[in-house]
Amino acid sequence: MREKRKGPIGRAAGLAGGVAATVRRMQREREPRVLVYDETGYARLVQPDGRGYERLLQTAERMVELVDESEAEAKPRRPRARRADPPGGAE
Amino acid sequence: MAGTLTPERTARRLCELSADARAGVLLDAAGAPAGFHGVTRDRSGDLAQLARATFEAVDRAHRDIPGGPPEQVEIQVDRGTVYASRTPTWTLAVVARRTALSSLMLMDLRAVLGELESGAPIRRSVSAAAPPAEAEASEEAAAGESPVPELGVEDQ
Repeated sequence: MREKRKGPIGRAAGLAGGVAATVRRMQREREPRVLVYDETGYARLVQPDGRGYERLLQTAERMVELVDESEAEAKPRRPRARRADPPGGAE
Repeated sequence: MAGTLTPERTARRLCELSADARAGVLLDAAGAPAGFHGVTRDRSGDLAQLARATFEAVDRAHRDIPGGPPEQVEIQVDRGTVYASRTPTWTLAVVARRTALSSLMLMDLRAVLGELESGAPIRRSVSAAAPPAEAEASEEAAAGESPVPELGVEDQ
């Protein structure tokens, strides 16, 4: 049986393990996924190799793009900020 | 009735209910757009067409999935999440931020569609930003307040 590491190396290893787990969890959360719900609210995951999966992802991506484009258009264009002080200028 | 939700206002209503909802579109039973919010008018047709295509693809995918016909769908992609819900009469689709809570968003979709169909408005709590005028703060009123308001009114 391996001894449990203690001291600074053990602590550093524990910290690194925690960071790696967080990164893995974040990557998992960012993965695209498709869920369908029936009338009772029961969720079923559409598998990546399932029928319609790719089409659903493409449709959703296009919908998000449309909203991005609309929001970018609606934002008022701000004029470029002028330099506050010219080089060597007065206060 | 003045407060009745109309199809034209439904997508806006959903976006008002949920801070994470960015845009929405409502389709009628024939799949024609009945209202939209959050996109420009020239893009609303495309959004409606994509919402229609979503449930077409869901129904295709459903052939491989056990259970009843899907009523709601959630699609998470890189920069956002699309939620859609349908009844025999209406289909409501919304584009939300990736941070949106699925259960809340799906509940809001159902609630807004229910409000549209039944006419009964959703009960909302009073906004903290706009306190009623008659409830002016005074020292007497403050002294009578419970220090733990969540626990409710104390017996006098």
